[in-house]
Amino acid sequence: MTAPTRQQRPGGNEAFGEMGGDSYVRRAGKVYVLALYGALRSIKMYPVENAAVQKALAELVNVTGDLMKREAELEIKVSGEFIFVNSTRLRLDLDNYASFSHLLSLFRANGVGVLRVHGTPSARDWLTFLSLMQAPSKESASQRLLQLTGKLEGAKILNFELGAANETEEEESREKVKEVAKRTYSQSVAVTKELVHSVRVGRSPNIKKIKRVVQTIVDQILNEETSLMGLTTIRDYDEYTFTHSVNVCIFSVALGRRLGLTKLQLYDLGLAALFHDIGKSRVAVDVLNKASGLTDDEWRQIAAHPWLGTLTLFHMRGQQELPYRAMVVAYEHHMKTDQTGYPRPIRKRDMSIFSKVVAVADGFDAATSRRAYQTDPLSPAAVLQEMRDNPRRGMDPVVVKAFINLLGVYPVGTLVVLDTFELAIVHQANPIAELISRPIVRIVSDVRGNVIYPGELVDLAVRDASGERFARTIIKTENPDRYGIRISDYFA
Amino acid sequence: MSTQAAPDPTLDAERDEPPFPPAVVEELMKLFVKGVRAHQLYLHNNPIYLRAIELLGEGLAAVWQHADELALTFTESEIRFHNRAVLTEPAKSADSLPWLFFKDGIREVRIIRGFEEEELVKLLDVVQRARKATPDDDDLLTMLWEQDFVYLRYRFVDLAMESAPPLLDTTPAEMRPSAEAAPEHIQESVASDTRPGVVSLDDFDTTLYFLDDKEIDYLREGVKNEYARDLRPSVLSVLLDIFEAQWDVAVRDEICDILDGFILHLLSASQFRAVAYLLREVGVTLGRAKEVKPEQRAKLEALPTRLSAPEALSQLLESLEESSELPPQADLTELFEQLRPAALTTVFAWLARLQNPQLKPLLEAAAARLASQNTSELVKLIASPNELVSGEAIRRAGGLKTAAAVAPLAAIMTDGAQPLRLLAVQALNEIASPGALQVLEKSIDDPDREVRVATLRAIAARAYKPALPRVDSAVKGKRSRDVDLTEKMALFEAFGALAGDAGVAVLEGMLTGKGFLGKREDPELRACAAMALGRIGGTRANEVLRKASTDNEKEVLVRNAINRALRAPSA
Repeated sequence: MTAPTRQQRPGGNEAFGEMGGDSYVRRAGKVYVLALYGALRSIKMYPVENAAVQKALAELVNVTGDLMKREAELEIKVSGEFIFVNSTRLRLDLDNYASFSHLLSLFRANGVGVLRVHGTPSARDWLTFLSLMQAPSKESASQRLLQLTGKLEGAKILNFELGAANETEEEESREKVKEVAKRTYSQSVAVTKELVHSVRVGRSPNIKKIKRVVQTIVDQILNEETSLMGLTTIRDYDEYTFTHSVNVCIFSVALGRRLGLTKLQLYDLGLAALFHDIGKSRVAVDVLNKASGLTDDEWRQIAAHPWLGTLTLFHMRGQQELPYRAMVVAYEHHMKTDQTGYPRPIRKRDMSIFSKVVAVADGFDAATSRRAYQTDPLSPAAVLQEMRDNPRRGMDPVVVKAFINLLGVYPVGTLVVLDTFELAIVHQANPIAELISRPIVRIVSDVRGNVIYPGELVDLAVRDASGERFARTIIKTENPDRYGIRISDYFA
Repeated sequence: MSTQAAPDPTLDAERDEPPFPPAVVEELMKLFVKGVRAHQLYLHNNPIYLRAIELLGEGLAAVWQHADELALTFTESEIRFHNRAVLTEPAKSADSLPWLFFKDGIREVRIIRGFEEEELVKLLDVVQRARKATPDDDDLLTMLWEQDFVYLRYRFVDLAMESAPPLLDTTPAEMRPSAEAAPEHIQESVASDTRPGVVSLDDFDTTLYFLDDKEIDYLREGVKNEYARDLRPSVLSVLLDIFEAQWDVAVRDEICDILDGFILHLLSASQFRAVAYLLREVGVTLGRAKEVKPEQRAKLEALPTRLSAPEALSQLLESLEESSELPPQADLTELFEQLRPAALTTVFAWLARLQNPQLKPLLEAAAARLASQNTSELVKLIASPNELVSGEAIRRAGGLKTAAAVAPLAAIMTDGAQPLRLLAVQALNEIASPGALQVLEKSIDDPDREVRVATLRAIAARAYKPALPRVDSAVKGKRSRDVDLTEKMALFEAFGALAGDAGVAVLEGMLTGKGFLGKREDPELRACAAMALGRIGGTRANEVLRKASTDNEKEVLVRNAINRALRAPSA
């Protein structure tokens, strides 16, 4: 066995997936990114001699020194929407996503894929380097990287080694992740189907399988959420009951991640989300799938599913502890924040934040899916708008806001029309928060109006040759049926 | 972390020739087995345990001299390193390390340099938990997943997962011209479209979607609260809400059954606050719910009764007695408040024989609350044939100054055993109602010395004058000379407290008087008389004491008593 290189250290070996755990590097890396961000901001906002700039640079020098002392080397790598410090992927959470976004966009704009720090750069070295990174330029990213390297050499600053992003490696990695996501999704749907079936026939479901599914979804979301989020667009009519639960689980875990939940908390949330509609297993199938209007009695049956869910979860064997959180979420997920909705609680309740998260994920997926009684679902963007603007939906406005922040103004799977009159499907929300209305899209029509597959991925944040205007901009969203486009083809 | 991928065959080929002597890994495995055993057997500050961990660290260090990571594969009975067995344990039981990993699907583990610093003990812990796990517990995979190892990775075959069907038909959409997708149509659609559901860019101000600090705090607080709150009462309130809102008999039956099992679950998990909540809210529910079937009502009403029954409550107290971690006082008190009066018998019996010193004050306080709410049951228990129960009831009745307890206490004073009579004296003194003191007075003549002494002291403390004739007769009679010094003192103290100035002459005679042939009374009696005079105080009594003090008293006992009495504040 050969000794692994630094790149094979924890978190770097994709074959073994994302490593959890707050290792030293993960913790120190977060501090480091914050210090870097702080220095960038202060340099941008104040003159060099300002105390805030000096303090931020001193902090950066200290943090760099600490990391170098412990790790002997320091490498920052940007790949997709992730930042790696010494091959350990840093976790995104509520208090660092602004710094992440800023660094990602800055690295990308400068064509920098890897930054290796050698020795111990002085405050002055950092000042020069960061100022050069932030200098306005109309050059392409690859040219900027060349310029940047040249200028650093010219200034005899040799502590910073810059490398371009390895696009082939990234593409291969993306494909691999996509395959894993597909497997995760199909397994999740299969297990959910088995779960619902077990409850229907009065058999104890295999809890270990369900737990494993949620663990895999959590790992996937922590590792690379885009692929799994993309698969939620499948929204299979026949399998709605099952795909819906899986989709709600995926959306909830992804949202939970943005809320800064730990891995185990994400697991709790994911489990609760997967179980949220378990009560429907006790509602007659013909009532669930009835296309025409419901009678009062049928509506009562449907409206019973939240509390039936709580009762059902009491009968699930094979667990060390009863799934209390899932019981609460099953009961509350149709409850509005003012505790109207259904069921109406008799005793006053403090609604769980998890119920609020699942309610938003559930509302979004349900409204954007085709079902027996909803043959013409709303576009994802319209649903988000409705969730935001219609207080009668009773969703928590901050959670809705965070959800829109997660999905982007144009959620993954939305068909959009660009100002080039091309059709495109939203592939991924822009990782840069400021560019929420400029997602990464897949162009799905050619200049002659042919629908194409798989189509090219383009970043709507990219500017045209003049550098003054964006190359493409969304004009509006569209109904994919109108163009005979099946969104899931582009994700599955 | 984990993957489900099958091992790479090229790696297997490479592994045929180990890069360093397998003996190093064999040694490490031996140390690991010892480490697991030490983790299970010893406290973590035990030198044997610490040594085992140290040796394990050294074993890993020996590996790190050759490589930065160590890959081990698992079969049913072996742990292998480059296709060579480094640990063989043929038994298919949880005691066998290879089997423990293999049975839950783990096929390969990679340990990376740095593992020994933060994660070794975590792994030992996981192994120990996995060995003890029941079929309903999490499997090793879940345990490893939860630990979120950084320096340990594993590959597994997910035995629980069957091959899932593929996703939707993923055949790529044909390159097909679409009239609707033609640019002119798209342009047209842009120009004319006002269909509902279509969103204009203007609808979204992108800056709206940044969470501000207040919003971030709000979400963070929400998560914090989520994990700070006890979910059990929340779930219970759901069940009881459903019971109230749903009149369907089957649904209510189901809830009754759930609650029946749930209460046991909560008790076994020491969730006393939740049990108290359940018992309290069941009452509220039954008061509000409409059309409850009698059987359902009876079933719910029986919950607190069942828990108050001796068998159930004894189980609870036994588990508390054996528990190393006790519940907060408030939880226990809350639970006891919900118990039926019948619970007092069991609680009192246990209070007397508790061994756990931490539990005693908790149970004392909880029992006090329960007793104060159920005085009639308390009074009944004074007559309990179980002396432990009776004694505890007497003690509590006194503490609570329960006037209704006087009659059963009187019965105890007549027929009860000595220890109970002694407790009854104390209780009657605490109750101190006229009736209680009347009963108390009779025990001045109790056959037991301790009871008499306690009675006399109580009567003295209460200055219960109606008892004077009985005390007077004892002082003047033969009894005052026959009893031991302690009882004598109690008797004279009581006499002094009750007789006042009227008793000075009698006491003076005893202290200074001379009898036949000029013989004085017994020194003990004279000393007690001096004390009684001191208790009376006042001019006359002090005059007698002063006179006695100048009398060149030879008896040290008497002299000291006189001096003390002169210094003592008058009664």
